[in-house]
Amino acid sequence: MGRKQEFEGDPIYDGSNTTGFVSPAGDALEGPVDLSALLDLRRPHRYPVRVLGEALVERGIYPGDVLIADTAAQPVHGHVAIIMLQGEVLVAQIAFRDGQWWMRPGQGRSDLVPLAGEETEIWAVVVALVRPRV
Amino acid sequence: MVVLSNNDGCAVARSSEAKLAGVRMGEPWHLARQRSEVRAAKVEWLSSNYALYGDMSRRMYEVLAARVPRVEPYSIDEMFLDLDTPRDAALLAVELRAAVRRIAKIPTCVGIGPTKTIAKLANAVAKGDPTLEGVCDLRDETRRARLYEAMPIAEVWGVGGKTAEKLAAIGVSTVARFIALPSREARRMLTVVGLRVQAELQGVSCLPLSMSPPPRKALAVTRCFGRPVTCWAEMREAGSAHAVRAGEKLRAAGLVASRMAVFLHTDPHSGDAWYSAQHAGRIEATDDARALAAEAVRMLRPLWRDGYRYMKVGVMLDDLQDKAAEPLGMFVSQDLGRSTALMTAMDRVNARYGRGMVRPLAVGLTQPWRTRAGRLTQRYTTRVEEIMAATAM
Repeated sequence: MGRKQEFEGDPIYDGSNTTGFVSPAGDALEGPVDLSALLDLRRPHRYPVRVLGEALVERGIYPGDVLIADTAAQPVHGHVAIIMLQGEVLVAQIAFRDGQWWMRPGQGRSDLVPLAGEETEIWAVVVALVRPRV
Repeated sequence: MVVLSNNDGCAVARSSEAKLAGVRMGEPWHLARQRSEVRAAKVEWLSSNYALYGDMSRRMYEVLAARVPRVEPYSIDEMFLDLDTPRDAALLAVELRAAVRRIAKIPTCVGIGPTKTIAKLANAVAKGDPTLEGVCDLRDETRRARLYEAMPIAEVWGVGGKTAEKLAAIGVSTVARFIALPSREARRMLTVVGLRVQAELQGVSCLPLSMSPPPRKALAVTRCFGRPVTCWAEMREAGSAHAVRAGEKLRAAGLVASRMAVFLHTDPHSGDAWYSAQHAGRIEATDDARALAAEAVRMLRPLWRDGYRYMKVGVMLDDLQDKAAEPLGMFVSQDLGRSTALMTAMDRVNARYGRGMVRPLAVGLTQPWRTRAGRLTQRYTTRVEEIMAATAM
């Protein structure tokens, strides 16, 4: 059926309906901050992507992190991007050299992988990171 | 690859490989998959993932709406655009196509014309001819005239298979011949629609862009079961569930219904004994889930016969009116204020926590009769637990 989501805390008291004194906050209620607004998730070019594997730990990207990928952003040398490599979905640093784009794998491996050919592209550029539990 | 309709029934989308293997649009998959060509081509199938398709459709719309003055979302995968900008329309079309491809990741074709009917035709031309690189511009009258000479009339938007047959019978098989038909003839054979199609094909726009859907006159919720239903308790649940869903649609549109029709039937293709029955009648004007479910069950009960294997049940509502315009006196047996408050609260909870989070118990808890979706892909963009995963390198 619906999304699994629990009501947390008391669903009735929202900061205004006090029993003794009228709450001075009554006209100023705003609710919790909206992270989807902060991350601009309503925009058509923003996609959430979950990280598998530890190869980007040096860049501060850990397994289980949720990356915000932007499909409208221009790729930049040295940035982290979502890459389609022969149909496989990868996240890695990208490099521009000799007039074309390459993938630069982390963890001490220096071999550049050319981003050209069938089902291979820079799919989106990583622009933000969410770590639900630190 | 084919994508199947609701309940994994019929092929509603086909990859070019599946088309080559001879899978037809709308064909029942359990029949198609048995053919040797389809088996030889190893055609894979997937269930429809409407949560994903709806979100991708939204993305496509937003990409376009940010770039042209007006967009009319015509269907989940077709939009009419107003290309009346200072920019050259053909150049703009190339850019729009590239933007949709890059941002929403959807390959598209663009057809350009002075009317919707010509734009649709141009789109079909672009789709059928890869050398055009996805854009076909039919603004030029001489180019159109050349194309119309050989274009089958059945390709034209609004001309159905039956109409095309009627026209073929009097020797009108191409668009050029159809345009040459005297308007009296066109009207006699195809009613006013025929006249409109004629005018549109000649560049006279009769169908302006509309930004909002036309007011609904009727709505239907019908579904095949995931497996045959043989007991009344399950049929009652399914009928109630469809009525409750119909109520959601009514309220979303701000309407009330004062007529309901229901039907149920067995599977005509399975070899099971055939039984089909329907009933329609007036109901007290309402948008209340509980009232609608009760009416649906009341109408279905006399149609039920033990001993059959039922495949489908449906609930249709018509005589729809604006709830705001409906005189209050029409709600005789309901407390309108309480009903509206309850339905509004239910809709809000369900909008926030997912459809069906709060529902009348009549629709059942486990719903074993529910539609199948045996091979559902992930809802990549709408469910946090199903988002795309990427391997760090």
